[in-house]
Amino acid sequence: MSGTAVIRLESISKSFGDVRANHDITLEIHAGRVLALLGENGAGKSTLMSMLAGQSRPDSGTIYHNGSPVVFSSTEKAIEAGIGMVYQHFKLVEAMTVAENVFLGQSDTTWLKASRMAKVVSDLAALYGMRIAPDALIAHLSMGEKQQVEILKLLFRKSNILIFDEPTAVLTPHEAENLFATMRQMKAAGKAIVFISHKLEEVMSIADDIAILKRGQIVGVMPASQVTSTAELAERMVGREVLLQVDHQPLEPRQQVLRVEKLQDEKLHEVSLDLRQGEILGIVGVAGNGQKPLVEAVCGLRQPVKGNITLLGMAWKRFFSQRSGDLTLSYIPEDRQGLATCQGLDLLDNFLLTTRDTFCSGPWLPRTEAAEKARHLITEFDIRPPKLNALAWQLSGGNLQKMVLSREFYRKPRLIVAEQPTQGLDIAAAEDVWNLLLKAREQAGILLITGDLSEALALSDRIAVMFAGRIVETFSRNDTEMVDRIPQMMAGLA
Amino acid sequence: MSIDILIPLLAATVQSGTPILYATLGEIFTERSGILNLGVEGIMITGALVGFLVAKVTGNPWIAFCAAGLAGASAASLHGFVCLVFQGNQVVSGLALTILGVGFANYLGTSYVGQSAPGFSRLPIPFLSEVPFFGAIFFNQDVLVYITFVIPVVMWLFLYNTRFGLNVRAAGEYPAAATAAGLNVVACRWLGVLAGGFLMGLGGAYLSLAYTHLWTNNLTAGRGWIAVALVIFAFWRPGRAVFGAYLFGGIMAMQLRLQASGTPIPSSLLLMLPYVLTITVLVFSSWRRGKTDEPAALGTNIAPAD
Repeated sequence: MSGTAVIRLESISKSFGDVRANHDITLEIHAGRVLALLGENGAGKSTLMSMLAGQSRPDSGTIYHNGSPVVFSSTEKAIEAGIGMVYQHFKLVEAMTVAENVFLGQSDTTWLKASRMAKVVSDLAALYGMRIAPDALIAHLSMGEKQQVEILKLLFRKSNILIFDEPTAVLTPHEAENLFATMRQMKAAGKAIVFISHKLEEVMSIADDIAILKRGQIVGVMPASQVTSTAELAERMVGREVLLQVDHQPLEPRQQVLRVEKLQDEKLHEVSLDLRQGEILGIVGVAGNGQKPLVEAVCGLRQPVKGNITLLGMAWKRFFSQRSGDLTLSYIPEDRQGLATCQGLDLLDNFLLTTRDTFCSGPWLPRTEAAEKARHLITEFDIRPPKLNALAWQLSGGNLQKMVLSREFYRKPRLIVAEQPTQGLDIAAAEDVWNLLLKAREQAGILLITGDLSEALALSDRIAVMFAGRIVETFSRNDTEMVDRIPQMMAGLA
Repeated sequence: MSIDILIPLLAATVQSGTPILYATLGEIFTERSGILNLGVEGIMITGALVGFLVAKVTGNPWIAFCAAGLAGASAASLHGFVCLVFQGNQVVSGLALTILGVGFANYLGTSYVGQSAPGFSRLPIPFLSEVPFFGAIFFNQDVLVYITFVIPVVMWLFLYNTRFGLNVRAAGEYPAAATAAGLNVVACRWLGVLAGGFLMGLGGAYLSLAYTHLWTNNLTAGRGWIAVALVIFAFWRPGRAVFGAYLFGGIMAMQLRLQASGTPIPSSLLLMLPYVLTITVLVFSSWRRGKTDEPAALGTNIAPAD
């Protein structure tokens, strides 16, 4: 690292109650460099950045901006200092155009002329190699394009320190490539970039410097050129050797639990598949290629228009009209916070959301009995904090997912539909989830929908690739020739 | 129907649509900032009474008209306090405001029932009122009607072509985005509540100062509720509100004329017509949901920053 830092954090500490989120952090951010902030979920990355963005204030320590101490008492102060944040959840007004979003709060003239706004925005986009229509409605854009609008907003207000909070979590691989290209251009233009991530390959490919955060403390800062492999980074991040390969032993597939025949609607074209107990069928594909409607049809959320679905030997209609406790289907949705749990309820109530039938006696719900079972599960699945009265929103993503899995597996399902089960989880949590799914496979057939190829390859017995509402190909994990062609199939080239 | 029946009917349509139009535009403006104000009925009748009383005391209908707008804005500010300062429930607060306003106006107004006050009378616009057919319908009215020809245009210009309008819409669509852009969302919403309340007050004043020139209790007779429904019919767009308001004005004018003509249809059925139309209109609008400009954050409160 050379030259003075645009931002220097010195001995920053921040606690929430008893929890030390950040402890004695010293870190420098330099113009024209990409600093990757690497750490597991809950390591304190977001807390640290929220202090930079003026959303919260450190308990102790000083932030220096161009060498002089500053206090970011509000988001406006941080914005004035040139700090811009690209949030994981975009702060865009869906009903407005790209240009309107860029100009929101930034215009100095009373009258807004659509043509002038459009020109300013498209010129700015062109400068950084982005291609975007300024008069398109945000609601019509893809996630990647929305992120470009977020970046344009920051560039328009001349931010020179850009913080990206897990920017690739919502992007397709191709969109992520575009983002990195834009980041390199911004770097060349002398902007300082902070890249928060736990995807090691991405960090290796884009970062100039890497800072590793663990349990609220910086455990290492190094130039990326000194790092030899992702395995080395992973080890430093989690503090133990990560087994990115799980132990996958083939089982003898047994009874058929799911059969989909020529399912067809506006987003699906003749989708057929079958699944047996003891196997995991991985559906891979870029999000939005028909996975959602397929899952919704299988889980009874939308009625199949054309085609048949047979679950555990029963027709769709019959299965969902007389679903009883032992014929269970478990749905592990992508949206952990919205669909799977109620954020304001405690763990016991969330546990009972789908398991209540097993406890009911007449109209009564014996909570003490349920609490005892739930406590067992919390220990067995190592859910933290191990308190039944903790509210769902207080749990980190990984622990919440483990809670959902423990609940669903408790019902001894014979068919499990798991949608992006490790999205947004750190390596250790993802590994736990993988092992749990492999274990559950002994009792059930698992339909795994994932955008993460390594996940599909690690877990699946068979893999089906989806593109544009079709299943392109279904093949065994051992069919290396087909496995090599997966990326082409996902892109619709095969 | 002969032309000499049709023209007066359509002219009456514009007249009885005007108070609803004021209120609908006010509610559109308020809702665009993200605040649902169900107190329209209460704010309108407050405006109607204040306008009437001020006109009676000062003898100047213009002062009375402005006073009614201010009264509407102050009544709406109660709603603003509950929702923007104390994060209260917007639905409950709005309903309470309606009950309060109607009660307040009937309590203070009872002693004036049947009395008249100076108001606005017809002011034909030279040349324009001579235009065949349209002139007699649109330009042979009182000046308060002419004002409503301008407001939708001004509101459209404000909302879609100025940065303040952009701010107000952002506050109604996604307050977090507006905050992240460095805007004061609460101030944007206050603007929505107060300016909207001002227009609702004017709508009430139209009833007492131009429509009837005298006070009766329950003068608004549910027009505030029709305005709430019309906002949905209008897809939250000022231009469509004009159509909606005249549609209801037409129904009201027609049922009055039908009653007067001694039709065998029972009057209670005729009186129901506007409300039957309200339900019909709402059903029609929800069919086309998705094409509306309904603010995404309508009715949600802004959590105070910590």
